[in-house]
This record gives sequence, C-alpha cells and structure tokens, in this order.
Amino acid sequence: MGIYLLRRLNLFIATSLLMVTILFIATIHFPTERAYAYSGIINPSAEQVQQIISDYQLDKSDVYQYFAYLSQRMSGNLGISATSQQSVAKELATVLPASFELACFSGLLALVLGVPLGVLASLNQHKLTQNAIMAITLTGYSIPVFWLGLTLSLWFGVRLGWLPISGQINLLYEIKPVTGFMLIDTLLSDSSYRLPAFKDALAHIVLPAVTLAVLPFTVVVRITRSAMLNVMNQTYVRAAEARGLHTGKIILRHALPNALIPVLKHLGLMLGAFASYAIVVEVIFSWPGVGSWLVSGIYQRDYTVIQGGILAVALLIIFLSILIEVLHTASNPLSRKELYASN
Amino acid sequence: MNLERLIESMITAQSDNDSLMNALTTRLFRLAMLPLLGGWLVACGHQQLPQGVVYCSEGNPESFNPQTVTSGTTIDATSQQLYSRLVDYDADEGKIVPALASSWEISDDGLEYRFFLRHGVTFHHSDIFTPSRPFNADDVLFSFQRVLDEDHPYYWVARSGYPFFQSIDFTNQVASVTKNGDYEVVFKLLRRDASFLSNLATDFAVVLSAEYADQLLRAKTPELLDQKAIGTGPFRLVEYVKNEYIRYRRHEGFWGEAPKIDMLVFDITSKSSVRLSKLITGDCSVSALPKAGELKFIENHPELLLESKPGLNVAFWAFNTQKPPFNDVRVRRALSLAVDKRNILRAVYQDTGVEAQSLLPPSSWAYARDYELDLDYSPSKAMNLLAEAGIVNLSIDIWAMPVARAYNPNALKTAELIQADLANIGVKANIISYDWSVFTQKLNQTDYDSVLIGWNADNSDPDNFFTPLLSCASVGSGNNRSRWCDPAFDELLNRARASTDRLERTALYQEAQAEVSKQLPLLAFAHAKRTLVHRHNISYMPVSPFGGIAFADIKPALEDND
Repeated sequence: MGIYLLRRLNLFIATSLLMVTILFIATIHFPTERAYAYSGIINPSAEQVQQIISDYQLDKSDVYQYFAYLSQRMSGNLGISATSQQSVAKELATVLPASFELACFSGLLALVLGVPLGVLASLNQHKLTQNAIMAITLTGYSIPVFWLGLTLSLWFGVRLGWLPISGQINLLYEIKPVTGFMLIDTLLSDSSYRLPAFKDALAHIVLPAVTLAVLPFTVVVRITRSAMLNVMNQTYVRAAEARGLHTGKIILRHALPNALIPVLKHLGLMLGAFASYAIVVEVIFSWPGVGSWLVSGIYQRDYTVIQGGILAVALLIIFLSILIEVLHTASNPLSRKELYASN
Repeated sequence: MNLERLIESMITAQSDNDSLMNALTTRLFRLAMLPLLGGWLVACGHQQLPQGVVYCSEGNPESFNPQTVTSGTTIDATSQQLYSRLVDYDADEGKIVPALASSWEISDDGLEYRFFLRHGVTFHHSDIFTPSRPFNADDVLFSFQRVLDEDHPYYWVARSGYPFFQSIDFTNQVASVTKNGDYEVVFKLLRRDASFLSNLATDFAVVLSAEYADQLLRAKTPELLDQKAIGTGPFRLVEYVKNEYIRYRRHEGFWGEAPKIDMLVFDITSKSSVRLSKLITGDCSVSALPKAGELKFIENHPELLLESKPGLNVAFWAFNTQKPPFNDVRVRRALSLAVDKRNILRAVYQDTGVEAQSLLPPSSWAYARDYELDLDYSPSKAMNLLAEAGIVNLSIDIWAMPVARAYNPNALKTAELIQADLANIGVKANIISYDWSVFTQKLNQTDYDSVLIGWNADNSDPDNFFTPLLSCASVGSGNNRSRWCDPAFDELLNRARASTDRLERTALYQEAQAEVSKQLPLLAFAHAKRTLVHRHNISYMPVSPFGGIAFADIKPALEDND
C-alpha cells in the first residue's frame, strides 16, 4: 500500500507540474507585458519593477523564467489582482469556501437522494416504475445546466417569489466569516439575527444546489441501480437470501457497500464536469465562489486572477481525483488484489 | 421437504421485500419532501431582517476617494455617502447651501473666498483610525493642497491624477489656500470665476482627514487614504469586497440630519436583469439604472416603483479630432448628418430620454436652440459632404461603453444603430468594446477613432458641460474625448466664467453651443432621465438631476419587514 500511495503522489506531482507548465506557456502568450502578466501590478514604482525582475528573472531566458515562475507560485505568491490591487491568494481564500459549500451541499443532496432512489429502482419489480425512474434520470442527465438554472430561477424566484435567486445571503445580515461556509457561519455568529440569517442562507442555497445536484444525482441513480442489479445476482446474496436473512439487512449489509464502490469511482470521473457545471451555476446565481470570480476575472482581463483561478481549480480536481482513486482502492479488496498482482 | 422450505422462505422473502419496498418508498418520499418543505417554510415564514437598505449598484468603485476619479459608479459609492464638501448645491432651490462651511464671504473683486467652518464636526472612526480632534481648517488645507501642490507628499499617491480638477484647470485658477485660525479658510483666485463655488459643491471636492493622512504617512501606507476612506459623511465605510458588496454603517456623529437607516449595503451586480430579479425577490430595496426595455415590466409589477427626473446629462458620440480624417469638419458633419437620432431614442431610450439639440440639456438655464445650423437626419447631404471632402471607402471604429451609464443605458445597441446608419452612406463601422476598467484604460491611449460616451453634470452651472469636456486643459486629463483644442473657444469659456452677470453668461454660453454645433467635435444625441427603481417598502428616495446618488435622506416605510 505504501508503494502504491507513493506512486499516486508521483502522479499528482507530475500532473500538477504539467498543468503549471501549460499555464506558464499560456501566461507568456497573454497579450500584455510579462511583468504585468506575472505580477498584476499596473503602474509599478521603480522598486517594484526591480522586485518583479528579480522575482521572475525577467532579464533571463524563458527557461529561467519558468523555474522562477514555478517557485513563486509554489511559495504561494500568486501576484495581485489588477482590478482590486489585492493579493490573489487572499481573494482566492475568500471565494473558495463558498464554492466548497455549494459543492458539498449539492454533492450531499445528490448522494442522499440518489442512492436510495437507485436502490429502489433496482429492487422494484414493476417495469413501469423502473422505466419512469430511468426516463426521469435520463432527462435530468441531458438537460443543459444553464437552461435548468434559468428556468428554476424564473419560476421559483421571479414568478412565484418563493426563493431568492442570487447571492449567498441577504446582505443586511452582517456575518463574520469564520469557516467561510455561510450556513455554518450564520449559526456561529453572535448577532441576534442568527436564526433568521441561517434560514435566509438556507433559502439562498436551495436553487443553486438543486441545479448543480441534478447531474450527479442522475449519475448516482443510474450507477447505483446497475451496480445493485449486478450485486443482487451474485451467489453470496442469493445464499444470504437462502439463509432467510431479512431483505433490508441483505441490502444494507451485503449488497449496498459493494454496490457503492462503482458509484465512488464514477464520482471521481465526474469531477471535471461537476466543476465546470459549478462555474456555470455560480455565474447564473451570482454565487460568490471561485467560478464567478474566475469568470469576472476573464471579462476584466485580470491575468493574475485567471492564472490563480485556473491553478486552484485544476489542482483541486487533480488532487480530488487521485484522492477518490486512493479511497476506491482502499475500500475495494478486489482492486487491491489487482494492484498486488501488478506489482 | 427442504425444497419446500426453501420455496416458502423465498416467498416470505418476497413479501418481506414488498413491505420493505413500501416502507422504503414512504421514507424516501418523506426524505425528498424535507428540503422542499424547508425551503417553502423559509420562503413564506415571517422574515426578520436587520434595519437597513440594500442598493443594487452597477459596478466596482475604482477608488474610495472621489478626488481621483470621474466615473459615476465610484462617485455613487463614495461622495455623498462617506464625505462632505465645503458647500452643497440644493437642486430644488437652485442655490449653493452651507455644508462644512457654515458661511462664506466673497471679496468685491471676486478673487478672494473666505469660508467660516462648522464647529464640532467629527470624522469617522475605523479599525485602524480613531480621530483625536474634530474637523478643522487643517483638513480643508490638506484636501486641497493635495490636489494643487505637486510637492505635496500625497500628490503622487493618486496614480491616476485628479481628472476633474485637471479638466477645470484648478491649479491655474487657485493662487493659494491658507487658514486664518482653526475655523477659517481663505482661497485666493488668479482670475474671477463664476463657477468656483459650484465647483466646490461638486461630488469631487470632498474634505479628507489630515490627521488620518499623517498617521498613514508615518505608517508608510499612504495609499490606504484612498481605499479605507475616512470622511465626515452620513455613513462610514465598514467593508468592501470586490465584485460582492460595500457595507456602510450610520455615522453616529454626523453633523447634518442623521440618516434614518442603520446600515447601507451596495450589492455590486453588473447585469441589469440580475439587479431587477434581486429587486423582485427582495434581496435589494433600491436598484440603479434599469434598462429601457425593463420599464414596462417595472410599471406593471405591484411591488416596484420607478422614480424619474429629467437629468442634467448628455450622451454623445465624440470624434477624435486629432486623427485624420476626423480633423476635417466636413467629415464630422457628414457622419453626424447620417445618424438618425430619433431612431436611437426610440430603440435605446424609449421614453426615458429626450433628443439632444445642443450639448446643454433643456433644463439648464443657458440652453438655447435658436441657431440656424441644421443637424437633422439627412443621408443624402452626408454623402455629398463626404464626396466634397474627397473621402471614399471610409472605415471607422466606434468604441462603445460596455456598461449602462445614466446618460446612455445601452451604448452597444446605440453603436449598432449608428453602424447601420453609416452603412447607408457607404461608411463601414467596427464596434469595439472591452470590460469597463480595460475600456477606460485603452481609451486613455488616445488612438481611437470615435467613442460613444457621455457626461453627467456635477453641478448646475453650464460651464460644467464645456470646460471639463471641450477645453484644451481637459485634453490632458482625458475627459476631452474629442481631443479638441481651440484657443478661441477656450477664450470664450474663460470670458463666460469670469462674468457673474447671468444674462451676459447666457449669451456667451449660447455662442459656445452654436460653436460646438458648427465645429461638431462631438455629436450630442440624447439627454436621459435619471431613473431609479425601488420596492414599495421604501417610502421616499430622492433622485437628484445630477451628481451621485445619496442615501442620507432615504426613508424606509414603517411596516417594512416582509
């Protein structure tokens, strides 16, 4: 297992390096001066110019610049944003938690609703129910997320007026960021408006989370169902049935844990699509996360923000995919066996 | 026997399965209903909100010091909220009223202005600054020396300069600013200027804290002066998060009438449709700059109210007169004649604007329409003029602002209409647009052909439409988008400024209007109404015909809480 982990770590480092290299090549081709593209300082003073030249080795060749760039970015210097003149790393730290909150909430929604529905679909004997569930998930899978987001906000926000359709919370609630998760921060805050603020934050997250959850939800239902059908036909389940075990027990103890392994694997594969969907959802619902931050950076030609956003999102996806793969291996004795065989 | 039992157990398992299915179904159903129910409760439950107002604004401020900018977005966010001026302009009464200066005297030759300052005015406090003394003459000196004196330690802190003061040539207008005791300030002028008090009443001539500036200079962070603003206005700045919001709280020691609201939040929302939807769902109470197409919807919506007033502003198409072929007045005239202004008004402004007949809006006291130069839409005349100038196959760039401004709600659409009009006379036009901050930066590089932009008056003096926009001094400050400099015209403006006789000034400004229509450095096409949308829970929201928005006088309705 140790060697396996080391190899995964290698994979992580190699992929990240490749990604930074591509980012560097893109950066030197931005239609602006390099000093500005690297640092984001618009009108640098004489000392700042010197500092930028020595930091990024601007007086040397591209190869030197690449290593200087790498070491600056690795040490956490992402430059400053051209539009706000604040450190990009600091801005990133304020927008990332909001994105995590939305992603966690919709991921949870997808799993909590998707897994039981998938089990239900696999157990149900009625062709009609099965087909209905499959038809609904296929529809959900095919709906473009921007259309869904706009439709939901039109109906539940504008027409019916039930739910707010943009932002994280009504801005009159003054909530000090502690964890960065608005739902938790509202409860932690010591203002007298704690509960109304929590309710308000909850109301704000419903529509974006539902929009974002549709894709993973449909995938989870379909994968759970096919995995369950597969597992329920295995001899050990049939044996358990033959022993007279309660069906609920068979499903929860014997079938479901095995059926969830492919679900985990597919979640890992879905991360990239999920992240790009999250960016679209954040823009539609003005969610103050890394996605809308990155998109507004692109509109404003804020090159340091673009680099910082891409770096953060890409590193996260690489890291999480590898993490899920490791979890998959750890939880799945079969793949461990393959692993040992291959070693 | 065994087989029988097996079958039996299979059957029971099957029926078990069915009952389990039922249980699972109910449980699932409940589970699925839970978030829906929760959401419904939250939406319909009685919502308890802290007292305050959220304003959906259209963009990020570039700075928190109005001295250093001219953009309306920044002025809205800073000037009337955070700062006070020496004098204010009362739009209803049409006269200058006391603010930080409780009274003033003007010498007989009009060259010396003596201001007596208000006592007991306190500055804001913040987490990095607590004022130790009330406002006095030093603060006034600091605020104006910073703009006037190139050797002042703060002069170069503002990298973008002081565009408004440069455009009115303030440094060559004021000889000195001195204090006489702690509560008296004397401005000595180099030449008589009827617009001087009006200029001091603009949103740009704010008073900063000298004590705060000293403290920042000692801490070697002078640039914070323009970011973490400290003023004497009705609200103090609490927090600014780029692209998200600006939060203000009531300044408890405000010298004027205390604002009715505890908290003011600018919710930065650049898309007009999103601002409208936030207004409908109640996330905002007041919203800026609705698009003309949205007005009908707003009028029909039971929760929303539209406020509008004729504005002192002008939207124009400026030609870069320093670049051929726009240095030829015949070309400028031809392009102007080719534009169907009525069509632009119909499509872009609908009923929120009036057609411009002059650079000055009709509500200005120096407005005149009685010059004989005919600028009515006429493509055939335009083609003749172009032929006369010997121009064939002309292709030009039209720069169009990407954001809605008070004077032009949709510059891109305007540009498209002009593009179609120009195609009729055989001129090809390319539309160029960037995001706002990039747009202004690139515009300052001055190699554009023509640009669709406009001007919001800062005070009611007609000079405010001429000197900042078309004088030689304003070419350097970047406000003169036509880059037009005519010494004779400058002389005319100076004469108009030096006089204090309104009849004489009116005649001179009418001459200036005629000159602009003859030379056409820019084509004025519309004066927009100032519009603002708010929910019914705001009972009073003042709209000023010029300058920035002010929240000090806003009145929320009492039963507001839903």
